Amino acid sequence: MLYTVIEQVVNGIVSGSVYAIVAVGMTMIFGVLRAINFAHGEYYMLGTFGAWFAIDYFDLPYPVAIVIGVVATALIAVVVGNFVMQRIVGAPAEAGVLATLGVALILQNTVILVFGGSYKFFSGGYIEPVTLFGFTLAEQRILIIIVGLIVFVGLELMVTYSRIGKAMRAVSQNIECCAVVGIDVRHIALWTFILGAGLAGLSGVLTAPVNVSVYGGMGELITFKTLPIIIMGGLGNVRGTFVAAMILGIAESLVATYVGLQFRDTVGFATLMLVLMWRPHGLFSAQARF
Amino acid sequence: MTIELSRRGFCIGTALIGLQTISSGAFARSEDGTVKLGLVAPMSGPNARYGAFSLRGAEMAAKEINTAGGVGGRKISVMPADSQGTPVEGVSATRRLIDQSQVDYIIGDVSSSVTLAMQPVAEDAGVLLLNAASSNPMITYKAGVGGFKWTYRNYPTDENRALIVLQYAAEKKGFTKYAVLSVDTDYGRAAIEFTKKYLPRFKSQILTEDYYKEGEVDFRSVLSKIRDSGAQAIIMYGNADSTPIVGRQMIEVGIAGKIPLIGNAEFNTASSIKAAPKALEGAIEAAAWLPAYDSPKSKAFVEKFIAEYGEAPNNHAYVHWETVHLLAKAIEQAQSIDREKVRAALSAIHYESAVGEVTFDDHNQARLPMILLEIEHGKPAIKGAYSAEIDYPK
Repeated sequence: MLYTVIEQVVNGIVSGSVYAIVAVGMTMIFGVLRAINFAHGEYYMLGTFGAWFAIDYFDLPYPVAIVIGVVATALIAVVVGNFVMQRIVGAPAEAGVLATLGVALILQNTVILVFGGSYKFFSGGYIEPVTLFGFTLAEQRILIIIVGLIVFVGLELMVTYSRIGKAMRAVSQNIECCAVVGIDVRHIALWTFILGAGLAGLSGVLTAPVNVSVYGGMGELITFKTLPIIIMGGLGNVRGTFVAAMILGIAESLVATYVGLQFRDTVGFATLMLVLMWRPHGLFSAQARF
Repeated sequence: MTIELSRRGFCIGTALIGLQTISSGAFARSEDGTVKLGLVAPMSGPNARYGAFSLRGAEMAAKEINTAGGVGGRKISVMPADSQGTPVEGVSATRRLIDQSQVDYIIGDVSSSVTLAMQPVAEDAGVLLLNAASSNPMITYKAGVGGFKWTYRNYPTDENRALIVLQYAAEKKGFTKYAVLSVDTDYGRAAIEFTKKYLPRFKSQILTEDYYKEGEVDFRSVLSKIRDSGAQAIIMYGNADSTPIVGRQMIEVGIAGKIPLIGNAEFNTASSIKAAPKALEGAIEAAAWLPAYDSPKSKAFVEKFIAEYGEAPNNHAYVHWETVHLLAKAIEQAQSIDREKVRAALSAIHYESAVGEVTFDDHNQARLPMILLEIEHGKPAIKGAYSAEIDYPK
């Protein structure tokens, strides 16, 4: 009994790590651009497709495919960032919603147009199960947890100590003042966006071996899983997002075990409703942003 | 004045055109000695591939019959009509075939929802609707003694499938405890409803029951629950795309090779097996037909189809080919193309198909065997054709 509960918590931490890496990019983009990036799941999909393409067409090893997936996503993010995201800075909220939804449609359908709409099989990665403390996990999942931790520690260090990290925090607090003291807001916005999209791509490449199927519409689900997490975590709050992602991962896993798999997707939105009723700025105060 | 004139002219014109259509139709039927067979199938839209296979199968059968001298000296002509896989288009295609092409028999459709919509249309016109590829049990619940006397089906239903899989698992494997992991759609849920209906017959029980959303990627929680539940097999009716994911995660939670998957979700395709060979070992699946089925008639069909069209037939090609032959035999036994006589002949028919003998029950549903496959040493092995009797709701 206790064993089952602990095992499910471990399962939850694994899926929580995936959510966390995707969500942190989305929340940072929100912090700087004040826009929910509805195309975020599409960058996750692009990362996966990049890696799948590298493995399937060029027979490259998985570690190389990870790099290719992330770099490809970042390159696309440079283009989208320059032509779309930079223009959102200071624009009304609905501009951001429409622009990112449009980008989502274009990215998704371009991929379907180029590679076809059918499901592809992702053959790379480390899928052999290993036993740790009595639990069996695919090696890939351990890799996901480790990379997740590295990403979060790295981001914390970056926003606390590096120049660009400090500038990101500044922009998320007050755009006008940043402009006054000479911070290039559009430049910061672009880099935050590329970083966020790259992280989403990384998360896609990391989960592809365990999720196996690769298809054009796979990003949508991710966008809608990420949305409640970043709201729960307090929009723009990196640490809050990490905790919220873990809470959602563990809660989903327990619900799937004790209530039923069909109720799993309701968990995110049910918790979101509760949070919005009692703590409308998220579980963690918005002041703790970054 | 001008308006009145043109209106009168319009009425007369319409009446004339109407008369002409009726008379030409009547002539067409009496003069032309061919047997007109309508084929409603999705020729365009997302299921167009199924429609193309259906038409090729039907046309090949018609060609075979015609070269052998036709039925009672009459040639069969197949008249295709596009349902686009939607009920609305399916109904108008059926009406076109009945009103304009004046067909006597219709084979169709592939999609169950289209067939369900076509049933009342065929019934009103008194035209025989012989379905060859829809699997929803409702179609024949409502046929024969259930209501629509002109609907027949020569295809096993989801209920047949659920029953045959359960019967094989209970009788050949000795399973009595199951876990359910099916897709959360009409198909996945209905298959489990039918499975539950027959559980008492095999003194079996379901220990855990879960449904996954299309696109779900994380099955670890539910698979660990199944591992701890003591289930002997996982009943899964789902989409092909989830099978590799479930298989890989079965390996992770340590149930691969211990708790097999049974049901229907493309367990036997090379890509599923390649994704998780250990998890799919021992998986059991029931199919209406497959090209690898080893009977002389089936092998001959596959060879001839490849020679004719340069590609291997699928299930839809086979069932339509077989159904045209079945109908031809009914017409031959009726010794007439009179619809009532052909219908009576069909009800009483004993037809030798490539998978076994076909007879119809009082719901006009063919008693058909299904082919059971079990994955052995990484390859699907055919375990023979099985049939089982359906309990209709009273």
